[in-house]
Amino acid sequence: MIDPKLASAAETFTLQCVINKRPVSVDVPPAKRLLCILREDLHLTGTKRSCDIGRCGACMVLVDGKPVNSCLTMAYQCQGKNITTIEGLAADGALNRVQKCFLEEGGYQCGYCTPGMIVTVTALLNKNPEPSMAEIEEALSGNLCRCTGYGGIIRSVLKAAEQGGRRHAGRHESA
Amino acid sequence: MVLRHEEILQSPSVWRPRTPEEAVARKRALGADAVFAAGGTLLRTRWEAGTEAIPRHLIDLGSIEGLSGIWLQDGDLAIGALTALDDCLNDPLLGRHAPIVAQAIRTIAGWSVRNVATIGGNIVSRTGDSLPALLAADASLVWIGEDGERTEKLADWLSEPIPDRARVRLLAQVRIPLGGDDSIANAKRFFAFHKVGRREAFTPSLVTVALCGSLEPDGRLTGIRISAGGGQTVPARLKRAEELLTGRMPDPDALGEVYEQVAADYAPAPDPFAPDMYRKLTAANLVVTELWKLTAAGEAAGGKEGAPCR
Repeated sequence: MIDPKLASAAETFTLQCVINKRPVSVDVPPAKRLLCILREDLHLTGTKRSCDIGRCGACMVLVDGKPVNSCLTMAYQCQGKNITTIEGLAADGALNRVQKCFLEEGGYQCGYCTPGMIVTVTALLNKNPEPSMAEIEEALSGNLCRCTGYGGIIRSVLKAAEQGGRRHAGRHESA
Repeated sequence: MVLRHEEILQSPSVWRPRTPEEAVARKRALGADAVFAAGGTLLRTRWEAGTEAIPRHLIDLGSIEGLSGIWLQDGDLAIGALTALDDCLNDPLLGRHAPIVAQAIRTIAGWSVRNVATIGGNIVSRTGDSLPALLAADASLVWIGEDGERTEKLADWLSEPIPDRARVRLLAQVRIPLGGDDSIANAKRFFAFHKVGRREAFTPSLVTVALCGSLEPDGRLTGIRISAGGGQTVPARLKRAEELLTGRMPDPDALGEVYEQVAADYAPAPDPFAPDMYRKLTAANLVVTELWKLTAAGEAAGGKEGAPCR
């Protein structure tokens, strides 16, 4: 039985936003983490939970096109926003260019950090289609991989940039 | 959808005021049960670490219009407190008028955190890495409270031992004076910011130093401001080191004296893994290196980093 006094302290809140191009309306506590809403309420489990403090990047999603740690983001901050998760980077089970390059170059081992890596790299290449090595390293400083030593990951990013950078320069691309 | 019991117990209610005045009144009414939230990244991290309890109420400052953006006003660069750190970096006005602050912001957390975290949040934490650069830029804070709007020097606010928690106010802007006040024509303006941590990017700081000033045509230093912080240290100006340099040339004697003064006056908050002496020497080395770059020997060695900023 919920103590009515405590219950009244938590406003009920309906989060209305767009997730992976679909309008979503979900009743959640207003300060619930986006990470938990995605995984528990919407069953979008591609977004991974790890550090819970915004350091590891496993839970990275795009909010209005910018990479954001979903473990640090609360429901009320997502109201009216356009959110893209790893599941929404390409339509109908297809892979986007970054995903293909991670597969081809072995940019993963256990794969736990991979969705977050791919979300960050997709955002990086949308913003900066031809990043320098320093820019790649800086952009990925918030995505930790404990398996690969980053060699394969960097190769994947360079390949994705090479394949799409020049052709798509200046164009917004999420697929 | 049914909410789980523990979710309701742990989830604060969220108030979304429209104006600063409404936010202040809400905070006054709710008292210690309520916390102002901007980007919320630091709050969230503290809740997860258990260093702060999740409050009963959050007052979302993000719902107030007019608290974000960067513009020129009354001879100052004005930065709205709710401006996300990455938005600060993307604004050409900051790079043009306060490049030392842009340099510091670039070292804070990682890209994804800077997309959410705000400059105001970094400031009111009292240990944020933007602070040494803002001190060197002689920044002021514009607060909105129950007694209206009030402007205060950042250095004065940081030197208060414990902020008066009974006073309800929120940070609306940070203001940076647009140079020219102390610089004479032909003087070479210089600035530098350094952050030392345990890795190159996305790292908490151990030591931060910032300095700026002018090198006059006759080789003397004027308008020097030096500050240092890092880790849990509340950053402060190093006034005695500044005084020692003012009107002097950055010659070996002056650099030797300023080295000793920085090491003596910089008082880092204790860190279990980095002894005070290491941090004092690091701060002193960084300050003296930047000053040395202004000398003929330093320039010949390619000391470009402390190059003129305007």
